[in-house]
Amino acid sequence: MGKTLELTLNGQTLSFGEGDTILDVAGRAGEEIMTLCHDPRLKPVGACRTCLVEIDGWRRLAPSCATKAEAGMRITTHNERIDRHQKALLSLYLSDSVSEEATHDTADASQLHSWAARVGAATDWPHLDSQRFERSDDRNPYVQFRADRCILCARCTRYCAEVESVSAITLAGRGSKTTIATTDARSLLDTSCELCGGCIDVCPTGAMTEKKPLAQRLKPARMLDKVRTTCNYCGVGCQMDLNVDRAAHQGRGQVVKISSPETGVAPNDGNLCVKGRFAYQFIDHQDRLQVPLVRGEDGELHEASWEEALQAAARGLQGVAKRHGADSLGFISSSRCTGEENYLVQKLSRAVFKTNNVHQCSAT
Amino acid sequence: MSGANKDKAELLERLAAAGGLKAGSATEVARQLGLPEAEVYGAGSFFHLLSDPETKLRVCTGLSCAMRGARDLLAQAQAAGMPVAECSCLAACDRAPALLRERSVLVDVKPEDIAQAEGKWQAVQGAELSEDWVGAIGCGEAVSSHLPIDLAGEMDVSGSAYRRAETLGAEAVIAALDEAGLQGRGGAGFPAAIKWRGVRAEPAAPHYIVLNADEGEPGTFKDRELMLRRPDKVIEGLAIAAMCLGAEDVYLYLRGEFRGPWLALERAIAAFAEAGLFPGIHFHLHAGHGAYICGEETALLEALEGKRGMPRLKPPFPTQHGLWGKPTLIQNVETIACVPAIVMQGGSWFRALGKTEPGTKLYSISGDVARPGTYELPLGISLDELAQAAGGYLGTLMAFSPGGASSGFLPASERGRALDFKGLAAAGSMLGSAGVVVLNSANSMIDAVREQLVFFENESCGQCAPCRVGTRFLREALDRKLRGESSQQSLAQVAEVAWEMNEGSICGLGQAAALPLTTALNHFPKALGSAES
Repeated sequence: MGKTLELTLNGQTLSFGEGDTILDVAGRAGEEIMTLCHDPRLKPVGACRTCLVEIDGWRRLAPSCATKAEAGMRITTHNERIDRHQKALLSLYLSDSVSEEATHDTADASQLHSWAARVGAATDWPHLDSQRFERSDDRNPYVQFRADRCILCARCTRYCAEVESVSAITLAGRGSKTTIATTDARSLLDTSCELCGGCIDVCPTGAMTEKKPLAQRLKPARMLDKVRTTCNYCGVGCQMDLNVDRAAHQGRGQVVKISSPETGVAPNDGNLCVKGRFAYQFIDHQDRLQVPLVRGEDGELHEASWEEALQAAARGLQGVAKRHGADSLGFISSSRCTGEENYLVQKLSRAVFKTNNVHQCSAT
Repeated sequence: MSGANKDKAELLERLAAAGGLKAGSATEVARQLGLPEAEVYGAGSFFHLLSDPETKLRVCTGLSCAMRGARDLLAQAQAAGMPVAECSCLAACDRAPALLRERSVLVDVKPEDIAQAEGKWQAVQGAELSEDWVGAIGCGEAVSSHLPIDLAGEMDVSGSAYRRAETLGAEAVIAALDEAGLQGRGGAGFPAAIKWRGVRAEPAAPHYIVLNADEGEPGTFKDRELMLRRPDKVIEGLAIAAMCLGAEDVYLYLRGEFRGPWLALERAIAAFAEAGLFPGIHFHLHAGHGAYICGEETALLEALEGKRGMPRLKPPFPTQHGLWGKPTLIQNVETIACVPAIVMQGGSWFRALGKTEPGTKLYSISGDVARPGTYELPLGISLDELAQAAGGYLGTLMAFSPGGASSGFLPASERGRALDFKGLAAAGSMLGSAGVVVLNSANSMIDAVREQLVFFENESCGQCAPCRVGTRFLREALDRKLRGESSQQSLAQVAEVAWEMNEGSICGLGQAAALPLTTALNHFPKALGSAES
C-alpha cells in the first residue's frame, strides 16, 4: 500500500490505499453495498449493475466493484436515484428468473432473491420468455446448469478461467439468448472440466447446482447447519463446510452438501477439488469402518478396542520381521494423512523396524 | 502486439475461414492458436455470421427495409424452404429492401427475386452492393469541391494534406481540429481534438489508431458511401492521425458485409503506397462478423482482440487504455475523413461551413423520400431542407427518426428543427449518426416502434441486465399491447424499465434502447394506444 489517501463515503471521511476499489473502501468501513457478480478472487467486470454508486461530478452511476477509489471522491451509496435503480434492476432480474420458492432446492439461499426482497423489488412483473440453452442432457454426474435461474453474471465462467485455469465453460450467444455453454454443447465430461464444482459455489442464484442423487437430500439453508472442517482427502488441509441436516437419520444427522468457506480462508481461499466437494458419501456408507476390527482365529473380523488392534498389528509386524528380516516389511501411508503423520510413518519404518521400504501413495 | 495477442486476434478470422461454428471448428481453431476451446466457442457464438453457418440468407428488417416489405420477403423465403433468417440493418437503407446472401449484400430485392430462385438460396439475385456500386449523393446548393468530404470528387492520392500536416506539426494540426469544432460523427459527438490530445499525452507506448467502420445504426449508410467514393480521404486522415500521435499501426474495422468498401480502402492504401506516401504506417483491415454492438468503440476493441464484443467499463477510456491496453485513438469514418480538408483549409473554414454547429455533415436519408441517399450539407439544416435535397417527401410526413434507432422518433411538427447535436438533444432525441428515416402517414407507428425494439433486443450484447432483460421486456410489453392484453400497470412498468435502462446500462446501446418506445409514447400516444391512460 502506498501513501494514505482520503475520500468521503456517505459523508464519512475514509482513508484508502493505491489500487483500492470503492467497494474495498466501503467494505472496510462496514458500509454494505449490494453485489452479485463480484468475487474477490476475480477481476471485476461490473456487469450485474447492483453495486452502482453515485460519485459527485460523475454524470453516470459507477460500479463500485470496478471503480478505483480516488482522493477527494465524494461517494453516495444510497439516495433516491440509487434506491430506484436497485429496485428497478432487481425487478427486471426477477421478471427473467424463477420464483423464490423454486430456489429452495439449493442449500444456499439465492442471493438474487434475498437482495430483491431487501430492496423491495416487484414480484408481479410479467415473466419473460427468454430462451437460454441449458444442455439438459449433459451426462456429467455432478454439475447441473439451470438456465432459467441464470442472471449471466459470469462468475462461474470467470472462476473457471481465472482461478482454475480450466476454461471449460463460457458465455455463449448474445442478447437475451446469452447462456453458459460448453464448446459445441458437449457434456462437461468431454471438456477440460475437472468437476471442481467451483461454478456451483460461486453462483449467486442457484443456476449451477449439484445434480441428483447428490442434491436429493438438500434443504433450504436455514434448515441446515454449517460445520467447518478440514478436508481429509489429502494433506493440503483445505477448509470446507459440511452442510449437516441434523434431523436426518433419526436425529443422527447427515451431511447433504459440501460448500466452500468464504474467500480469504487459508489455505484454499474457498477453492475445492472434485474429491473434497463431491466425494463425501463415504461418510454414511454402510461399509465404512467405525470401530477397529481384528481378524480372529475363526478367520472373521471382530470388533476390538484400539489398544487390542494396535497390539495385534505390532505383534504381526514384529513377527514378520523376526521370521523374514526387516526388509520383508514395507510401509505405505495414505495421502489422506497429514505431513506430520507421514513423517511418523517413515520414522516408524526406518527407526523402529529398521527398513527403508516406505512410500506414500501420492508420491507416485 | 505480442505473439500471443496476435494469435488471439486471429481467432475470429480463423473461425470464419473454417466456415463458422460447425461441430469441431472451435476445437480445431483453439488447437491451432493454443487457446482454450471454450474461449474460441464463446467468442464465435457472439457473432451471427459465425454462430449460425447454416443460415445462408438474411433479410434486413431494419426500419427502412421493413417499410419496403422486408417482413413479406422473409416470410416468402421461409415458405420457399430457404435457409433464411432476419438480420439487423445492412446499411443499404437507400436501396431497401436489402438481403444478405452469405456475405454479399443484395439490394432492391423484389418478391420476384425470391420466387425465381425456386427455393434455391444460391439462386437469389439482386443488385449487388459491390465496389462499383454507389448510391445517390448530393450536397444541396454547395459547390461540391468546396466541401470537406466531397463525395462527388475525384480520388486524391497526392498526399498534400499529409505533407502539410507534417509541416504544421502535431500541435498545430490538433489546434486546427479544435478550432474546427470537429465532433465525432459516429453517434456520440465527442470532440475530436480532446481525443487526439489525450492519446498524444499518454506516455505508454505504442499508440494505436483504430477506424470505426462498423456502420450498423439502422437508417445509416453514409460511411459505406464515403468509403466507396472517397477512400482516399479516410486513409489520408488516418495517416495524419498516426503521424500526429506517433502511431505505426492503424486498424480498420469494417462490418463484415462491407466487401465493396473493403476493396475501395485496399485500393486507396495501395495507391498511396505506390506514390511512396505514409512510410512506416501499417494499415490492417479487419472484418466484423455480424454484431451491431461492435460499433461501440470498446466492444470494437474487444472484437479486434478476438473476444466477444462486449463493451468495456469506462473509465478508463480508450485514449488511455485501448487496444491491448495501449493508448488508442478511435474515430468514425466520417470524422477522420474531415481531417485532410481541415488541415488544408484550416479550422475556421470548416467551422464556418456549418449552419448551427461547425462543419458539414453527411446525412443518410431513407424511407418516404423521393431520392434516398447520402447528402453532405451544413450541420444544422432542418428535416425539410434535407428532404428537399433528397427530392422531396413521398406522401404526408407523419414522423421521422433523426439519427438512427437510438434517436427514437420525432413528430412532423419538428420538421423545422435543426438536425444538430444540441437541437436534437434538447428535443429528447439525438443527432447520433444522422441516419434519418422518414415515415409518412401510410406507416403504422406501432410497427415502426416494434422494429426498433426488435433490433435492440437482437443486438444487445447480453452483458448487463438493464439492456439484456430491458430490451426484451419492452418488446414483449409492446407485443402484449398489440394483442390487446395491455394494462395501465404495464405502462408504468415500461416507464420504470426505460428509466433503468438509461440509468443502469453499461454502454450507449442499452442507455438509448428505450428511446424508440418512450419518444413514440410521448409524441404519438394515440397511435400507441396509450392516450386514454
